[in-house]
Amino acid sequence: MLLSNTEHIPGKRITAFYGVVSGSTVRAKHAGRDIMAGIKNIFGGELKGYTELLQESRDEAIDRMKSQAQQLGANAVVNVRFSTSSVAAGAAEIYVYGTAVSVE
Amino acid sequence: MEQLIIFAILISLGYFFGRRAEKNHYKSILEREKQWLRLPTSSSKHVMGDIRKIDHCELANGNMVVSIDYFKRVLAGLRNFFGGNVQSYETLIDRARREAVLRMKESCPDADQIINLRLETSSITKGNRKQIGSVEVLAYGTAIYFCK
Amino acid sequence: MEYKPALPEHNDNVSHDQPVREFIILSAGITLFLLGVFWILGFCIDLAVARISPGMEAAIFASAGVPGPNAVASSDPRQVKLQSMVDALRECGGITSPLKVSLIDSNDANALAFPGGRILVLNGLLENVRSENGLAFVLAHELGHFKNRDHLRGLGRGIVLTAVAALLTGAGSEVTQLLAPTATFSQAQYSRDREELADEQALQTLACYYGHVGGATEFFEAMQARDQEILPGFGHYFSTHPEAMERIDNLHRLTEEQHLAVNAVLALPEVLDDRERQ
Repeated sequence: MLLSNTEHIPGKRITAFYGVVSGSTVRAKHAGRDIMAGIKNIFGGELKGYTELLQESRDEAIDRMKSQAQQLGANAVVNVRFSTSSVAAGAAEIYVYGTAVSVE
Repeated sequence: MEQLIIFAILISLGYFFGRRAEKNHYKSILEREKQWLRLPTSSSKHVMGDIRKIDHCELANGNMVVSIDYFKRVLAGLRNFFGGNVQSYETLIDRARREAVLRMKESCPDADQIINLRLETSSITKGNRKQIGSVEVLAYGTAIYFCK
Repeated sequence: MEYKPALPEHNDNVSHDQPVREFIILSAGITLFLLGVFWILGFCIDLAVARISPGMEAAIFASAGVPGPNAVASSDPRQVKLQSMVDALRECGGITSPLKVSLIDSNDANALAFPGGRILVLNGLLENVRSENGLAFVLAHELGHFKNRDHLRGLGRGIVLTAVAALLTGAGSEVTQLLAPTATFSQAQYSRDREELADEQALQTLACYYGHVGGATEFFEAMQARDQEILPGFGHYFSTHPEAMERIDNLHRLTEEQHLAVNAVLALPEVLDDRERQ
């Protein structure tokens, strides 16, 4: 499954399009990371725990989008866009959406 | 003791009515999505596939605000302790997003194609930052009308 | 390119676990975890409390005033009499540091050992004892708590549990509210053992001061009548004072085991006799 945030997959031709596909996850941090973040708040620096958390969520959201595209019969997703928002105290929602197409 | 009883009542109310509302909503969403398959939608900046002349275009949008029930809120609070996927919110956001896209399509029924679809999510709080009450999803895109 | 309309067969954006199962598993997990933390911290508190001497305690709590606006004036004859009773019982109770008695106007019948070397006696108590010995037993019971540093333990545990729950889930969150009854439950169980220990020590104090233990069960007999009115099934598990019946039985058993004498009781001093004339 090819992904791209451009209009076309470079070097390939689009033969059919299926519509918009999306993948989303809502992830919560756990108490341990919270406490480490609280401590980091005093010393400053990168919150590695949160970075990992959001990266994992993003990967999962992308996987969900790919699987949805596959169910439609597509083999690529173009014009991929990301969005992050906080929907609950301590939880972040990541979603990614794009247009499912067939390329050759 | 009374607190526990009130809590149990709220949770069961939230669970039963919430499950019912969700089931009905998903049924309605699936029906309407089947109907609106006739309107191609994409997130790309150019018209896909069609080479007809464009008559005019307009900005179409649709939004939905979903509120959370007590059972889901408690579940999310518990989940905050251990981390992981907050499953109760996932269905919420999914419904809101699909509904918003459907409303956008319903706002321009004669359009031939919708391009540059974008989705925005925001949370609407009631003042107390710790309690998130509802989520709003906005879907907007350009509706293209071809020359007949 | 052509448009090929299709809908996905299954929705990948939601997980399909049963929400009720998730709820039960998460609640159980959190409850177990917090109980474990509470137990460990309680153990540490017990160790710490044993090291706080009465002198230290008085210094720490010197600035804390008596709670509530309903304390009677310090010149009230009832308070003076109570203070003299406590001072007299102190030696038999094995306490060398001074204790201050405060009488509080309240309909409840209770007496509390309070940090800072204070005993609070609630007015309602005076309506439920019939003799000087009965009143002395209740005061000696509180002296027992002091000796065992129970009042500090209770305070420590309450603070610790609230702090841990608030730290992990935010003050006033649903989880904290959900767990409040659990805390009360384990607190009650813990307190019950301490109460029985204080009962036993009060019995000894009475025997030492009066030479016999008559009148020891008076207060509990009065409370038993009340218990059955108010909480006929649940009182057992949720009260911090175990059911009166058990304590009466316990006292009878101890009296026999230790071969303590039971003689006639002394009448209640008139200034403290608040019972309604019937």
